[in-house]
Formats: sequence, C-alpha cells, structure tokens
Amino acid sequence: MQGHLGAFFTEVDPVFSGLPTGRHEAACASGSIALLAASAEIEAGRYDLQAVVGIEQMKTVPASLGGSYLGTAAWYEKEAEGIDFPFPKLFGRLGDEYDKRYGLADEHLAEISRLNYDNAKLNPNAQTRTWYMNKEHALARDDMNAEVGGRIRLADCSQVTDGAVCVFLASREYATKYATARGINLSDIPRIKGWGHNTARLLFADKVRESREAEYVLPHVRSTITSAMARAGIADVFGSDGGEQIHGIETHDCFTTSEYMAIDHFGITAPGESWKAVEDGWLEIDGKTPVNPSGGLIGAGHPVGATGVRQLLDAHKQVTETAGHYQIPGARNVQTLNIGGSGTTSVSFVVGVD
Amino acid sequence: MNSDQLADGSVTGRIQSDRALLASRQIKHVVVLGANGTMGYGSAALFTTAVPRVTFLARTTKKAQAGLDSAIKQVRSATVASRADVGSYQDDLEAALETADLIFEAVAEDMAIKQQIFDLVEKHRRPDSIVATVSSGLSINQLAAGRSDSFRANFCGLHFFNPPNVIVGTELVANDHTDAEMLDFLEVFCRLRLGREMVRTKDTPAFAGNRVGFKVLNECAQLADQLGPLLVDKIVGPYTGRALTPLATIDLVGWDVHRAIVDNIWELTDDEAKPTLKLPDSMASLMAKGVLGRKSGGGFFARSDQGNTVLDLASGSYLPEEEIQLPPMPYVAEIADLYSQARYAEGMQILLAAKGDEAALARKVVAGYISYAFMRVGEVCESITEIDRIMGAGFNWAPPSVLVDLMGPAAAVRMLGEAGVAVPDALANAGPSDRFFQHPTVNTGRFFVAA
Repeated sequence: MQGHLGAFFTEVDPVFSGLPTGRHEAACASGSIALLAASAEIEAGRYDLQAVVGIEQMKTVPASLGGSYLGTAAWYEKEAEGIDFPFPKLFGRLGDEYDKRYGLADEHLAEISRLNYDNAKLNPNAQTRTWYMNKEHALARDDMNAEVGGRIRLADCSQVTDGAVCVFLASREYATKYATARGINLSDIPRIKGWGHNTARLLFADKVRESREAEYVLPHVRSTITSAMARAGIADVFGSDGGEQIHGIETHDCFTTSEYMAIDHFGITAPGESWKAVEDGWLEIDGKTPVNPSGGLIGAGHPVGATGVRQLLDAHKQVTETAGHYQIPGARNVQTLNIGGSGTTSVSFVVGVD
Repeated sequence: MNSDQLADGSVTGRIQSDRALLASRQIKHVVVLGANGTMGYGSAALFTTAVPRVTFLARTTKKAQAGLDSAIKQVRSATVASRADVGSYQDDLEAALETADLIFEAVAEDMAIKQQIFDLVEKHRRPDSIVATVSSGLSINQLAAGRSDSFRANFCGLHFFNPPNVIVGTELVANDHTDAEMLDFLEVFCRLRLGREMVRTKDTPAFAGNRVGFKVLNECAQLADQLGPLLVDKIVGPYTGRALTPLATIDLVGWDVHRAIVDNIWELTDDEAKPTLKLPDSMASLMAKGVLGRKSGGGFFARSDQGNTVLDLASGSYLPEEEIQLPPMPYVAEIADLYSQARYAEGMQILLAAKGDEAALARKVVAGYISYAFMRVGEVCESITEIDRIMGAGFNWAPPSVLVDLMGPAAAVRMLGEAGVAVPDALANAGPSDRFFQHPTVNTGRFFVAA
C-alpha cells in the first residue's frame, strides 16, 4: 500500500526540507523495523544521526473498522476477512496453545492486566491512567468486561491509541561530540547494546504446527530475544554467568496472552511456567525482573506503528533514571520486545549504559 | 497534563519526597457523606480504585444503595460493590466514622445542611481522620469555623470536577488552620493513587477553575440574549481552544448549577469584570418554567425527532437549527485547517487579524478570559500556572498562558486593549520572547480542535 508517510516529515517544519526520509512497515513491529534500519545505516557509515519517528492515528475510525484494518497484519484472506476483531481471536488462540501444552489459568492473565494498569497510573503519558481496573474486574465475566475473542476479554486488550514518539540514534563519533560539547561522559549516554530480529510463518496455525516439538511456543520470538542478549554480551536475563543482567523489560503486551508468552520466552521462568513469575510478584517495578513499568501496550497504549519506538524511549528513560515514578531502581540494561502480527515479525533491543 | 515529572524528568528529590509523604499516612477506609448525589457517588467510585473500603452513606440506606448502583454504572465495573458498603446517617454513621481515615462530604451545597452533618462528624470522627468537602462554592474557612482544633487541622476542600472518574483536574483548598503536612500528603495521595491533576487554590469564591470558567460561560450566556445561542457557540467555537462550546457546556452542567455558581461569585466578589457575572434575566425566567439544560430535556439546545433545535430566549420556544441563518465566518474554517496541521500559532494569527463583528466578538471573549485569569493571580492562587492547569485539566480549555504564548505577548496585549478589558501587568511588562506556560511535557495541541 502506498502512503508516502516518510515525506510528511518535511511538513512538520520547513527546516526539514531537503533531508532524506523513508517509511518502514512491519505491522505492530514497524517502529522497531525503523530503528533497525536507522541503526544499520549508521553502522554502515552512511549517516551519523537519525531521527526515528513512530506515529499512529487510530481513533478516527470506529473500533470495528480499525480492527479490520489491523487484520491486514495477519494473512487477511485466511485469518481476518469477515471476522470481527481478528487479532484478539488470534492471541486468544495463543492462550489456548499454552493451555493445551502446559495449562493456563485466567487468573494469571488478569494479574498481568492489573499490573499494567497499575503501572500506567505512574506514567504521565499513559492512556489508561484514570481507567477503572483491578484484578477482580479483569476476571469478571460480565458485560462490563465483555468477550472480544475467545478467552480474550476487554481487560486483556491493549488500547486503540493515537500517539507519536521520536528518538534520535547517533554514531559513536556523533555521540562523542555531543557528550564533549555538553561536558557529559559518553558512557552515560545509553546505547543499543544488542538487537535481534526474526520472522516466523505468517499464519498462526503454521507457527504452532512448526513449534509442536519445540521447547518454546514461538521459537522465533525466543531466538530474537536471545540473539539481542548475545549481541549485548548478556548470558541470560539474570546474568547467571556473573556478568551483566537485564534489569527490566518493555514487552509487547498487545494482549495479556502475549505478555504471558514473553515471560517464559525471555527466560524469566522455564517454558510454560510464566505463572510463577506472576504469582511471586517478579514483574512488579520493585520485583526481580520488572516487566512493562511504563504500563505497556495495555496500560500506556498501543499506537501501533509507534510502539516499538516508545519501548526504546522507555528503555532509555529507565537506564538514565528519568522514568519518574515508574523508575526501576538501578536499571542499567533494559530489553524490549516488539511483535508484528501473531508473533510473525519480532524485534528486540537491549538498551543500556556501561 | 501532569505535575508528576519535574521539567528535566529527574527522579531525585521530588519523587523521593512524594514516596515518603505517601508512606506517612494510610487511607484504608473512606466514608462518603451524600453518596447518592452525582459528586458523591462519582467520588466514591473513584476512591474504590485505591482504597479497600469505601462506605456510601446517605439519608436512607436505600438512597445510599442507589448511589452505589450509580457508581457501578459510572465506572462500568461491578467490582465497586466488593469494596463498598452502604448505610444511613442515622444507623451507620457513628460506626463508620470510627474507622474512617478520610471523611468525604458531598451533601447538598448549603451551609446549614453541611454544618449539620459536620456536627455529627465532629462528634464521632477519630482526631487523626482527614475531613474533606467537595464543595465548589462555599468558603472552606466558614465551614471550619467554630470546629475543634483537630477538625480544622485535618479539614480542607477537595474539589473534584464532574464526572470525577473522567476529569482529573482537582482543586485542593486549605483553611487557615489546615495542617501543612496533611495537605501535602493528601495532594500526593490524590496525584499518585487517584491519578489527579492537583491544583492548590486559595479559599476564594468558586476557587480558581469555576471562577474563571463560569465568568466566560456566563458572558456567553449574556451574549446569547442578543445573538441567539447558535451564533454564540459558533463565534466562541472549538477553534477558540475548547472541545465543548460554551452554551453546550452550560446545558451539560445544568442551568441550576450554573446559576448557583455565578450567583455566588456575583454576590461575594467585586472585580473589574463584575458585569459579566450577572445571570441573564432570560435564563432566570426560563428556569422558573423548568428549563435546566440536558437533564430537563433541553437548554440552549435540544434534540427532537425532527433534529437539532435551538432555544429562542425571548419566546422560550425551539427553532429547527437549519432554519437559523448565520453570517458567514470564513476565517473559522481557515483556522480549523491550520489546526489540523498542528499550525496553532498561525491559526491564532488568523483569529487576531480576522475582520467583522463576529471575529471581534470572539476576540473579546478570549481577551476577557485571558485578562480575567491573569488578573486573579494572587487572589485565587499563587501563579498563573495553577489557573492554567485547572483550565486544562478541569475544563479541557486551552489554558490562558497557552493562548498568550501562541499569540505572542505583544499581540495578546493589543487584543486585550482593543477588547477594552484590563491588561494585567504580567502581560504588559512581558518581553517579546517571554513564555508563560510552564508545563513542558503537556501536548498543548490537544486543546485545539480542528472544527
């Protein structure tokens, strides 16, 4: 689909006229794909400074029409055409797959929702700051928490959001000059320490068929996460080798089931045991491995194309201790996971300071 | 709009002291008095988001139960009930007050009725419990007068706007004896646990938000007498920095509420804009016939099977909207188009330069708003920032400082001069690059609707 959105950057302000721009797209992972492209161009030596803008306007159409547009992130004809809200149903099936392989209690999904809403109250930019939510409500099976698709109910969903975000990525040379000019240490400026990127089969049914004998439900998502850690020189989320660890995670909770999946895929628990981290409070801001201190896609909002960039910005805030009330104490490495489609495109970054 | 974050976003200092304050007291039980009224059940529902037990009290248990039912509908969650209990003043107040950490009064806006209930509160409350009133107009000092030391030290105004679960702007008003630490705690509790945008105001009639806001609304109601409601709401439309137009706002809050607020300000204040605070006679006589705005089926505007209709203030009858001829105002579409491209300052320049009576009138109302807000600094609050925050977070109007910053101070002063309203010193003495709006993290574009 032609949109030429990149060219609109010149319309933000005439001063941008004459700058090279481009638009990147990978469904809900678009923001991260843009970050990957920008960092690759910097590493290739083409440019030394890139502005990565994530932007989405979703509230100009009714929710059902918006849901249908989002359906094109799946294989539309096979998985989405003629279906109301196809994505909740696809991620409901992710929950069903966990249920089949390991067992899954709705109570743990409700707790994930509750935590994201609670964290969002601490984030001044979060969409749901004033919304009414608690675990009991997330578990309610009434018309105030209506079913949207399979086991996914309203409280399990991320939001329809208008939002935009911008980050700047720079080469080491540019960052050095920037730091020197401001009298700060280069090592205090966060950098992308590692990245991971993978693409799985487009149809959800094909994904789970392929992973039937595998350790993880979405093995390509797992490999995205571990390759980002490996590039960052981090052995695992806890730094079990005595080296660096991941102090917090901003993950893609488009639905509670996707966060449930992320918990074991990050290696916070063994496969199928995500519920343990939920029950033991490990995901809380002051927990063992805080997940989505910002409130994530459920609490902060999900402006689809902007989300990956927002996650990177939140990682930056955490490692620079500028996250305000949702600050993870002492965070030096924060990892993101951004997913397009039903776990199809996955991108992860490790952002940290030394 | 928020005040959580320092301008540089740093976590030190402010956040640590917030956390220490939050830990300094506990609010585990809130008792809401007058829980059957709109503000009562709306506030009670809000408290259940952060407090494990909220008691809904009213004259009868049946009324309190009706309040709880309304609260459930308001926030759309049946779980409110699992955190709530209901009762009557006669049977349940005494026991409830014994364990209450916060007593929230939302009974009728009448000094005698409030005093009556405070007599009971005084008698049965714990000396360390906080007592707050949601009053939007009565004097906090007068309400506290004659009470015990511990009552006065723990008493303040906590003015939520309706509906409290949606509108986050909240005014916090001390009396002369309010304990400073209690007030600091309550502010942080409301900000962090209830997601409120907290604004401290002085104990002046209608405080800050309603004083400034209803001055503008009433001026528009006066204009409607001569021009008709449809034209007024077109002239002071969304392009002037508001989502809901002024007369539609009065219809929404209710004509009786509007009258109570402006009559109160009219009686108790004497400032340079006093004539604009006189309730139009036409509204008073129509109210006597039952016109109260949306809740009575219609106010300045009504909807019928035939479509939208507009009140003729002289006759009290309604005319179909499409039969009313409005003068052309091409500059409105021009401004809306610029807003749709986020070119707000350019839009404001079009408003400043637009020709014709309608544009002049729009500038007069906007100028009156800016002037009145800046002139109240020192009287109703410490700085223009408090007024900016409550107009943004309480009324969803472009804060006065945002308008001045978009116009530039010199152009704003010229507009005020042409409108014949008072020019505040802060604006008259401003340099060309001075900026007034103090919230770097607020996206001010959200106040300008492209319509």
